[in-house]
Amino acid sequence: MTRTLRTLCTSVAAIGLLTIGAVAQAQDKTIKIGALFPMSGPGSYFGTQDKQGVELALEQINQTGVNGYKFAVHYEDSACSPLPATQAAKRLIEQFKPDVIIGEECSDATLAVMPIVEQAKVPLLNAGSSSIKITQPGNPWTFRIMPNEVMQGINLAENAYRRMNARRAVLLFENTNAGIGNAQVFKENFTRLGGKVLAEIGFGRDVNDFTAIATRVAGLGEVDVIPTYTLEGQGLKITQALAQAGVTKGGGGNAIQIGTIWLPFGFEQKAGKAALGYIRIVQFDPTDARPVARNFVSAFKAKYNTEPTHLNAHAYDQIMLIADVVKRGGKDPETIREGLAATKNYSGVTGSVEFDKNNQNVKMDTIHYMETKPDMSWVSLKWN
Amino acid sequence: MSETVFAQQWLGKATSSRARFLGYLTAVAVIVTLPLVFNDTYWRTNLTVCAINVLLAIGLDFILGYAGQLNLGHSAFYGLGAYVSTLLIVKLAVPFWLAFVAGVAFAGLAGTFLSLFAVRLRGHYLAIASLGFAVIVHQILLNWISLTQGPLGIYGIAPPPALVVDGTVIADFRNLTAFFYLVAGFALLSFLLLSQLVRSPVGETLTAIREDEVSAASLGINAAAWKVFAFGVGSAIAGAAGCFYASFVGTLVPDAFFITEAFNILAMVIVGGMGTLIGPVFGAVLLTILPEVLRGLGDLRLVVYGAALTFVVLFIPGGMAQAANAVGERLWRRRSA
Repeated sequence: MTRTLRTLCTSVAAIGLLTIGAVAQAQDKTIKIGALFPMSGPGSYFGTQDKQGVELALEQINQTGVNGYKFAVHYEDSACSPLPATQAAKRLIEQFKPDVIIGEECSDATLAVMPIVEQAKVPLLNAGSSSIKITQPGNPWTFRIMPNEVMQGINLAENAYRRMNARRAVLLFENTNAGIGNAQVFKENFTRLGGKVLAEIGFGRDVNDFTAIATRVAGLGEVDVIPTYTLEGQGLKITQALAQAGVTKGGGGNAIQIGTIWLPFGFEQKAGKAALGYIRIVQFDPTDARPVARNFVSAFKAKYNTEPTHLNAHAYDQIMLIADVVKRGGKDPETIREGLAATKNYSGVTGSVEFDKNNQNVKMDTIHYMETKPDMSWVSLKWN
Repeated sequence: MSETVFAQQWLGKATSSRARFLGYLTAVAVIVTLPLVFNDTYWRTNLTVCAINVLLAIGLDFILGYAGQLNLGHSAFYGLGAYVSTLLIVKLAVPFWLAFVAGVAFAGLAGTFLSLFAVRLRGHYLAIASLGFAVIVHQILLNWISLTQGPLGIYGIAPPPALVVDGTVIADFRNLTAFFYLVAGFALLSFLLLSQLVRSPVGETLTAIREDEVSAASLGINAAAWKVFAFGVGSAIAGAAGCFYASFVGTLVPDAFFITEAFNILAMVIVGGMGTLIGPVFGAVLLTILPEVLRGLGDLRLVVYGAALTFVVLFIPGGMAQAANAVGERLWRRRSA
């Protein structure tokens, strides 16, 4: 009897220890996500909004975990610039040893980081850099959710020509990798369709007064569309200058400003009447009726008491896509890379995700068009 | 005995040839040891960035600290070295070391060219002229797209070719340790060159010009020629730093050489101790490493970094070299007492 009791006690103790060990092991199972975001310098607004989206996603998926895994994120300031991004990426890889990395926003920084992640064999999931070079030729370890500059440019040119019946365009763009790239793609495709580009006007990020440029555009005669590629600060000044010069609808003219993903929500309110008729691509449509988008909007509002931006949505999608890959068996850098490459029709907040052989998301429903109405509200045009 | 004499004694001892020899030996030992202590790619990257910044800081110190020329355009020479060498390699397939020499020479000539015009200017006027030069160079790099690729950038720049002797690879510069030894070795050689110059009659001449140009001219010194010389040497060293930067980062965009970079280099010289040569070395190391060490503070990182810089400028206006001298003097006095 004593012997039986002893055996029983030993067995119970052993099972207990094994269970504790198993639970401890399950709790130790963590997918480590490195985040390279610009958190200092002129691009810091990217990092701030990215962080909000990441934190919301983490809060949601860590409530239950995925396949027994919890998710942890470590942020590094990559400053939107090649050398700081290189230093941040190496620190992240050496010290945090991530299973997957998300970021950067700026194309120059992403391109500098790509060889490092390839050498370290850690997948990089990018959402905000538009340069075509990131996925052409790209490398097997870098994936991009957002449509690149060529996809956006072709789509914008076709819609301008076919849906807006535009035949004459003036290109306004900042002299950056993305600005020049976007403008060139529009020009090639618009002229291929039969449209005419009357002028290509590039400017530095240090230009503050756009009166001269607007006057020049006004002197070019009848203009149908003005594709504009610049960040919000200069974008506001351009829109107001064009309206003051009587070129655009907001100033009584006929031209319509159009653009790819550059401007955040709320631009219309800041620009006022000058923004009337502005048609632009956004990567996130807050009126999207899909449950995944509705749930995100309501959760975001509940947590931050404000409307989400496309940056919030992109960051949220990056984490949720990684969670989906883990659900499908991803557990380390190699299997997460394989899982990302095998992604089919993943439905995210910004749209669907499916990567081609260069790891570029090919789904066009991530491109949403919106138009600014007379009361400065906007409508989704549902062109894709 | 007065404090000044104590200090002179101490400094005299410290700068004696034996002490200098020991100093160089220590520097070699430190350079050899550092990558062995910091054996991950992140810290080896930081070490290489330190070495590049040391080159920039000692080059500027020669112009500013010894010749007294307030140059706010050092980033221009840095960028010219980077772009000239890279374009020669990428567009004309020129071998790395030939392109390196061309990059250094071009930056040196650009410095000489600028100083030929700016030699009559002093203080604020020279500062504005050199700042203007930096803006012009940045705009050229940004807007001459057919040549420089402008904001589209140049990517995939290869590191220097491996050093091969009799078919045996002595140093493969794809390896971070080898690259660090290359740049740090070059920085040490540059330091040696400048150190010899500033202790020679050339250094005394430059110091005389810095202190009182009129008095120096009354002694028959051609101040203009010596200022041009200092500018040429300092900018050539910045050009070398640019060549190493391009092949190290592998990516070249004009914004890396924006005028804010010139102020970063200036901060390294001031924090280290202008006109001491060794001070800017420590200034460059501190201002490269400090932001990295502070990464653990997250968003507070740059606040603490800014506060540290302000502290140094407010309380140790002579920089780290002055602080080291003060500590040395105190130790010497205690030993003598």
